[in-house]
Amino acid sequence: MTVATGIRGEDRQNAIAGWLFMTPTILIFSVFIIIPIIAAVYFSMTDWNGISPPIEANFIGLDNYKAILTEPGIRQTDFFTALKNTTYFALGVVPMQTIISLLLAVVVNQSLLRFKSFFRTTYYFPSITSSVAISLMFLFFYQKSGLVNQVLGTLTFGAWEPIAWMADPRGLIHIVLSWFGLTIRTAPDFLTQTSLFGVTLWSWISGPSVALTGIMIMNTWTTIGTMMIIFLAALQDIPNFVYEASQIDGATAWTQFRRITLPMLRPTMFFVVTLGLIGTYQVFDQIYVMSSGGPAKTTLTIAYLVYRNGFNNSQMGLGAAIAILLFIIIFALTMIQRRITGSEADN
Amino acid sequence: MNKRLLTLWVLLLIGMLLAACGGGTAVEPTTAPAATEATTAVEEPAAEPTAAEAPAGDVIQLQLMGWASSDAENSRLQEMIDSFNAANSDVQANLLLVPDYDTKLQTSLAGGAPPDVFYIDSFKLPDFVAANAIAPIGDELENVDDFYPNLRDAFTLNGTLYCPPKDFSTLALEYNKDMFDAAGLDYPTADWTWDDLRTAAEALTDSDNGVYGMVLSADMARWIAFLYQAGGTVTNADFTAMTLDSPEAKEAMDFYVGLVQDGYAAQPADLDSGWPGEAFGKGKAAMSMEGNWIVPFLQDQFPDVNFGVTELPAGPAGDATMSFTVCYGVPANAANHDASVRLVNFLTGPEGMKAWTDLGLAMPTRASLRDGWLEKFPDLEPFLNGAEYSYPWQFRPGFQDVLDTVNSGLQEAFTGLATTDQVLQNAQEVGTEVLNR
Repeated sequence: MTVATGIRGEDRQNAIAGWLFMTPTILIFSVFIIIPIIAAVYFSMTDWNGISPPIEANFIGLDNYKAILTEPGIRQTDFFTALKNTTYFALGVVPMQTIISLLLAVVVNQSLLRFKSFFRTTYYFPSITSSVAISLMFLFFYQKSGLVNQVLGTLTFGAWEPIAWMADPRGLIHIVLSWFGLTIRTAPDFLTQTSLFGVTLWSWISGPSVALTGIMIMNTWTTIGTMMIIFLAALQDIPNFVYEASQIDGATAWTQFRRITLPMLRPTMFFVVTLGLIGTYQVFDQIYVMSSGGPAKTTLTIAYLVYRNGFNNSQMGLGAAIAILLFIIIFALTMIQRRITGSEADN
Repeated sequence: MNKRLLTLWVLLLIGMLLAACGGGTAVEPTTAPAATEATTAVEEPAAEPTAAEAPAGDVIQLQLMGWASSDAENSRLQEMIDSFNAANSDVQANLLLVPDYDTKLQTSLAGGAPPDVFYIDSFKLPDFVAANAIAPIGDELENVDDFYPNLRDAFTLNGTLYCPPKDFSTLALEYNKDMFDAAGLDYPTADWTWDDLRTAAEALTDSDNGVYGMVLSADMARWIAFLYQAGGTVTNADFTAMTLDSPEAKEAMDFYVGLVQDGYAAQPADLDSGWPGEAFGKGKAAMSMEGNWIVPFLQDQFPDVNFGVTELPAGPAGDATMSFTVCYGVPANAANHDASVRLVNFLTGPEGMKAWTDLGLAMPTRASLRDGWLEKFPDLEPFLNGAEYSYPWQFRPGFQDVLDTVNSGLQEAFTGLATTDQVLQNAQEVGTEVLNR
């Protein structure tokens, strides 16, 4: 038998031992990851309501996906509204968190900086604090008479008109357009009447609502700590002699940053942006605590829509289909992103 | 690696696996004793379907699951369970009050091990019935005709009464007496009309000081009272078509949104509050339209507020309010069905209902208890009167989509992002889609 398999006795034993070592991981991985994924794919093709036992669910093929992607109706409108909101969320948060965390990492990496560990701890602190606790705290900050409005009022010498952040469904781009007299009442018909996937063009270009912007700022604040640590580790990996050599060549600090630090950080940048994309497209807990998708569905995100379909609306099958679509979206975005930043990092 | 070491590893692994399996079952009782007991109680008779209930001598363990409310109510419910257990030697009920109730209930139903008795909100009932999750126990209840017809309707689908209302709340108009006095206005009365409400709201508004005549939220569960007052409906009687495109619906929405758009009413968030009751308690709004749950809240959090309660104003088509109610449901195909129904009858029977509602926090759903209850709590009469002309908060499966659409639309209309026509047209379309599913 040993000869037949072409593996010598000792190697075979090693192989068995290897598998045995892997067994606990494989078991845990299958029970908590593989089987749920397969189940989710299966449920996304059923009409399971999430209340009756799953065995009673009927197999309906791709009907859930059709309802979301091709059939006009509330399911399609909700999904694409959520996709719009989540995309604005990612477009705002990912660049903000990447840039700020990089700057922070560069600052706390300076050898001349005093109280370095104090700053490192302070910046990292929000990342290890309970996101629910932070969300509740920010709910108070964003009240009409809350801290944010008061600070903005002081900074603008009272010109800032206090707003109830979490109850304001106006989109940022809509607000800017309204300064130029363009509102839903004055907008041309092709914007307000044409619908793309159940959402009017006018709604597509809304920008994040004031409420969503509030959550975006908070989300950035809580995530920059982790990103900063990752950048910091990469910064410390850059050999010092590169900087010394460039100094001899007469490079300024800015040139060093642009020509040495940034290129050397490319793989890390890819990693941070990927983490950021995944994190923002899956944002759930802060929405759940702060806004429950409101006001006027402007903070409805894809992950929250999955929850709402599964547990408020007795459409677990539909929720599963949205979850699968969310996976595909994140996967595709990561691949595109890899094309842009990753290919050079591989070299 | 030699053979002995390998054998050792195999043994170790098997040991770990066994320990892991054993650990799972051993941990459970410490975290959720009630849950495991109930599960075993359900499983035992299921193995012997011929044996009715449990074998003689055995005690049936029942689990009653609900959400936690005020401390007073939680302990009163526990007292009632204790007296049920004392009176029934063959049945022992355990009370389990859980956070995140909906999620917990849904997963336990889907998992095939639901609690024996659980709370069901009238709005959720159609979804549970559509999923064949609950047993209709209307025929097994004590003196069904004693329950107010409106509240029976809240748990009736296609002519079948599924479960008995444990208590209920209705919407009424709360007003701040001091603010009315300061403005020199007469207190609201039960025969107010929409015009009276609007005029008073206008007179009481002092927006420079952040005080409004009324606090209104972008919530279909409040607006719908005006819809019924205007003579409109959400759907036709047999739920085959939406009727939100009616002139009555338009009139109700114009009135409701108009109060906010004209600046005589504001949303809770604009008054630094999480919900209307808080805004009312803080004195930022002179009137609110909440249910009787606001009374203990105000007494507890804002004891200095001098407030009164009257019935909601009448609209063009007369009086209407909403009733919100919860019932005790029993799951379908339950092994302990009879014992569970006995518990439900104990809790909602005339005596149990009296004991439960004597706290004054919840109102009795039995008409026969009305007079006795009002003697104790005369101030709450406007809420109880609502039972006669209230509409149930119950529609069809999947109506959450319509609720979300209307709430979202109201929010947009308040902010001027949509017209009332657009909101109603949108809700009409979504509702039609839901009804046709």
